[in-house]
Amino acid sequence: MMTRDLLALGPMLITAGGAVVLLLALAVCRSHAFASAWSVLVLAAALAAIPMTWPGAPASGDLLNLLAIDSWALAFWGIIFGSALVVCLLGFEYFRPLAVQAEEFYVLVLLSATGAAVLAAADHFATVFLGLELLSVSLFALAAYRRDQAISIEAGIKYLVLAGTSSALLLFGLALLYFHTASLRLSGLAGPLLAGHPDTIALYAGIALVLVAMGFKLGLAPMHVWTPDVYQGSPAPVSALVGSVSKAGAMAFMVRLAGVTLTGTPGVRNGVFYGLLVLAIASMFTGNLLALRQPNIKRLLAYSSIAHMGYCLLAVLPMAAGAALDRQAVFYYMLAHAVSILGAFGCVCAASENGREAQHVEDYRGLAWRRPVLAGVFSLMLLSLAGIPLTAGFLGKFYVLASGVRNALWLPAVCLVINSGIGLFYYLRVLGTLYQREEAESPDQFATSTAPSALLQPSPQLLLTHLTLAALVVLLIYFGLMPALASLPM
Amino acid sequence: MALALAAEGPIWPLGVYFVLVVVLAAGILAFSYVLGQRHRQQATDVPYESGMTPTGGARLRFPVDFYLVAMFFVIFDLESVFLFVWAVAVRELGWAGYVEVLIFMAVLLAALAYLWRSGALDWRASGSKPAPDKERGQ
Amino acid sequence: MLDWLWVIPALPLAGFVLLVGLRGLPRPVIALIGVGSVGASAALALLAAVRYLSAAGPVVPIRQVLWTWLPLTSFHPTIGLHLDPLSLLMMVVVTFVAFWIHLYSTGYMACDGGYGRFFAYMNLFVGAMLVLVLADNLLLLYLGWEGVGLCSYLLIGFWYTDPANGRAAMKAFIVTRVGDAALAVGLLLLYWHFGTLDIQSIALQAPHVWVSGSGLAIAAAALLLGGAVGKSAQLPLQTWLPDAMAGPTPVSALIHAATMVTAGVYLIARMNAIFELALPVGQVVAVIGAVTLLLAACSALTQTDIKRILAYSTISQIGYMFLALGVGAYSAAMFHFMTHAFFKSLLFLAAGAIILGMHHEQNIFKMGGLWRRMPLTFVTFLAGALSLAALPFVTAGFYSKDLILYETLASQRGSPVLWACGLVGAVLTALYTFRLVFVVFFGPARREPQRGGSARGTAALGCGSFQAQKPEPPAPTHISWTMTLPLVVLAVFAIVAGAVELPKNVYQVTLLSDWLGVVLPAAPQREHLPSLAKVQIIAGAASLAGIVAAWLLYRRFPSAVRVLRLVRPWRQVYRLWQGGWGFDWLYRRLVVEPFVYLARANRRDFIDLFYGAIGESAKLLHAVLSWGQTGKVGWYAACLVIGAIVLITILVLT
Repeated sequence: MMTRDLLALGPMLITAGGAVVLLLALAVCRSHAFASAWSVLVLAAALAAIPMTWPGAPASGDLLNLLAIDSWALAFWGIIFGSALVVCLLGFEYFRPLAVQAEEFYVLVLLSATGAAVLAAADHFATVFLGLELLSVSLFALAAYRRDQAISIEAGIKYLVLAGTSSALLLFGLALLYFHTASLRLSGLAGPLLAGHPDTIALYAGIALVLVAMGFKLGLAPMHVWTPDVYQGSPAPVSALVGSVSKAGAMAFMVRLAGVTLTGTPGVRNGVFYGLLVLAIASMFTGNLLALRQPNIKRLLAYSSIAHMGYCLLAVLPMAAGAALDRQAVFYYMLAHAVSILGAFGCVCAASENGREAQHVEDYRGLAWRRPVLAGVFSLMLLSLAGIPLTAGFLGKFYVLASGVRNALWLPAVCLVINSGIGLFYYLRVLGTLYQREEAESPDQFATSTAPSALLQPSPQLLLTHLTLAALVVLLIYFGLMPALASLPM
Repeated sequence: MALALAAEGPIWPLGVYFVLVVVLAAGILAFSYVLGQRHRQQATDVPYESGMTPTGGARLRFPVDFYLVAMFFVIFDLESVFLFVWAVAVRELGWAGYVEVLIFMAVLLAALAYLWRSGALDWRASGSKPAPDKERGQ
Repeated sequence: MLDWLWVIPALPLAGFVLLVGLRGLPRPVIALIGVGSVGASAALALLAAVRYLSAAGPVVPIRQVLWTWLPLTSFHPTIGLHLDPLSLLMMVVVTFVAFWIHLYSTGYMACDGGYGRFFAYMNLFVGAMLVLVLADNLLLLYLGWEGVGLCSYLLIGFWYTDPANGRAAMKAFIVTRVGDAALAVGLLLLYWHFGTLDIQSIALQAPHVWVSGSGLAIAAAALLLGGAVGKSAQLPLQTWLPDAMAGPTPVSALIHAATMVTAGVYLIARMNAIFELALPVGQVVAVIGAVTLLLAACSALTQTDIKRILAYSTISQIGYMFLALGVGAYSAAMFHFMTHAFFKSLLFLAAGAIILGMHHEQNIFKMGGLWRRMPLTFVTFLAGALSLAALPFVTAGFYSKDLILYETLASQRGSPVLWACGLVGAVLTALYTFRLVFVVFFGPARREPQRGGSARGTAALGCGSFQAQKPEPPAPTHISWTMTLPLVVLAVFAIVAGAVELPKNVYQVTLLSDWLGVVLPAAPQREHLPSLAKVQIIAGAASLAGIVAAWLLYRRFPSAVRVLRLVRPWRQVYRLWQGGWGFDWLYRRLVVEPFVYLARANRRDFIDLFYGAIGESAKLLHAVLSWGQTGKVGWYAACLVIGAIVLITILVLT
């Protein structure tokens, strides 16, 4: 029993232990290169441990009812640890030229990945809260990591206050649920929902508050307002982390929650369904409309991720049917989104230099003429986010849409299609900027050393970032062409 | 339960109650506006209306170390809470519980070691602290 | 067996990716990648053919599913390859001809500024063509179909600095798109009724799902035919091909003669199961072929531009293939495709050598007496011309054309009228072919090859530094081995390729129809078969008559033509033919001008207002929502609470 539990927990134990060891190592001797290499190693080991654990522990009972380490959790651990790995790789060259102590960054990334992993496997309100807090607390510090910049501190403080508020709402919700069901197990919700209990106000209010907390983490409208400020203020690798790891963990739990709460009376759509429906549609429109004329790339990506989480909810909505296809759609969507958003922020990292991030769309004007490969990679990532075929993003969106159509969810499906059209506008706007020539630049003189173009000169110090981006491009195309992972049993 | 009972009864008393609340609030405001005295003098808009002007900002700056110490207290205090809980059930938990508590302590010790080495426990006047950050001088 | 089949289309595509990804490579490296990838592909295709045909036992198709794209419950678009004798023939001919044309291009395009771009596009074309040919389902076939269309567009407009070339490219793209649209609708129709786009399972199911001659079968076949007609430049969508000659000559040889334009023939042969169920459409195919071959042959007779003559000839020859398809003689059509690929690409390449030698002079009446100065080009061109004119018993073209003519008579679906059309076409073919030969290679040298070269010539030939090293463009006799070797090889094939299928009374060799018989049904024969020898003699006499007529008109009595051209009705006919029977004029009046008028009239239509309103309202909503992004934490927390209130309300009240 014991060894099997430990094996199932393996990937998570590796990251948690890795974080503690790194902390101790930092107490003895500080080295940026070591911290980076160690965290990459730890995350790679955690990733490698996932196939050994597959397909997870048969029953969650052995783990004190706290965690459900099933194939669903393990699949999302793959996204989480893989994304964290990419963030560590991007972080090395991002922080190297900065006058900031960079070692703790890796500790915090490991901890946030662990938190997200706990959340993804949570089957108990205690682990839900634990995972969420571990993730959030790490992210406060990460968002404010560039203490030399006021905007970064502002992002951290905002995230701290708002995540605290949302945690309070979550706790209140969990308390209401416990009050009603006298159980802290997630599966304990199913019984009272099915029984058609006359007085379900506390139950539904509790679920609503849990949804608010998860919606906050996912950036669903109207709890989305924090996202642009935090994405903009955080260092670019941290924005990538918020966009991939945190979203994956929260979405994994969201599906678990939906799987339990949407199964009310069979055939009858309960309030949870309509709540999620409103969240999905509101997020799609809010995210895309806000991004329309946004001149800041990081804010634009934040708005885009709001819309993307709205799209993804379309495949969460029919979770009552319990079809594996819908779960696979959600998984593939989150996978594709993680790859694309990591790639997009990776391009922001690669385009930034000397501590100044290339945040403004104008910084990218004519990038294709100065650094054609980087511009090509960025274009691919944007196309994937826009859902253009042959990229992972297309297949993700396709599966989600197919899931919606299969379950006759016409309204959100139509909204998704409309919003894909709106979304195309701003992705193409950025794409167009990439390929425009700068006005003041004659076509023969690419290498003018004036302000914005000097920022975007290719530099040999970004080797690791470029290699990471290359790997992401390969993944993007691979997932876009061969959706083998979409048919994992879940 | 109360809500469930209310759902069975008629809804109109709630409406009446709502209207009464609005009328009462509006009435109080209106009457005080009509009946209340008004004066306009030199110190009317000054805080406390007493002529004594406050000096300095209301926001005082404390050294950050206060917060750090407070936070350490909270964090390491939890340690003892968990230990008490474990101590109550030590026999039932057996060796497995013992190992778990050891891991817990080890993690906390690692954190303590980290804090100690990174100078967070140095209680000196800020400024004379050895700068752990490269940019601290700025 | 043949697990590495996917390498054959992958190699040119990899070459394309390399050439696009690595800019600024030196020319030898570009040539190595461009030619090498196609060459390796050709070698592998030959190896595959040998392996496939030497396998023991009956010939079975090989299916290789690489992976499944979008695995859904009801729709499995596979990325898979299908190799059977039909696709094998196409694959071998395409890669083989493409390799020699690529090799030729290294010499032809040597001075061009867009060397890397040229080979990138050419490699993409070969890759797309192989995808088209080897596809095991119609979706992948359509991908290749559009891919070759795209490459055709890119390569016709290769010298894009001249707006006329851009217009020609657009014309080709738009006209073929009419056919492509029909094809796409056809695919949807097939998917609707068969639930799959897999070619083999459609072929298996078709006789069970549709009754022969049912309306749906006819509709499906007609839609497929629409696609084929567009791609293969048959009536009524033939107008783009003569203009497509604006591209570099190797492009004309590869895309617009040997391979892409025959994709329509391949499509019909590949989907023969559908066409067998829609015999009226088969009749239409035959009539289209017969009419097209006559019209195009007449037009070829009056052109003065060497490449346009060959372009009309291509239309005419594909007309023969359509004629064969229409009467059910699928393997005869494929036979003619093969021989045509050899001799027509040879003719284009030789024409390219002439054009290069004449410093981009394409008017045949400004040439003359070239056989002395370009003997090798002359000999190879003559070989191609003889094959095109179908000189009896010597050339490959004779055997394939003779087979088509014979099948037209012998098949139950054929008729003497169609046969007569083909016969007249054969006379005309020989006539215009040898008109070309006599005018270009014989007679007095009307114009010396210029030393300086025209403006166009320098634009195409020399570019900057390259010209500085070689102040004089290459003289006609100085043509590198990379250009002559393909000519010689293709000339040999233009003569001997007919040996794979000989008439029964000559020698019992029926290799091709035996191979193709596995996948293509034989034409239903009439009870009273016409005498093979008689038909052969008539066909041979027709082609000889054409050659003799050409000799009489353009060599012996050249003044006769000049006189003829002044006679009143003939002058008008001449102008009509020269303008391609006025189809361009007709389409301009019928389609282009009304469309442009409508577009003008509808410039500010109310539908646009609707879309404009969507954009404006999106902007407005954007402004409203942006107003909510205050950056104030208090408001953000309030938003959280608003979310909580909204959700609680929804959850509790529903």
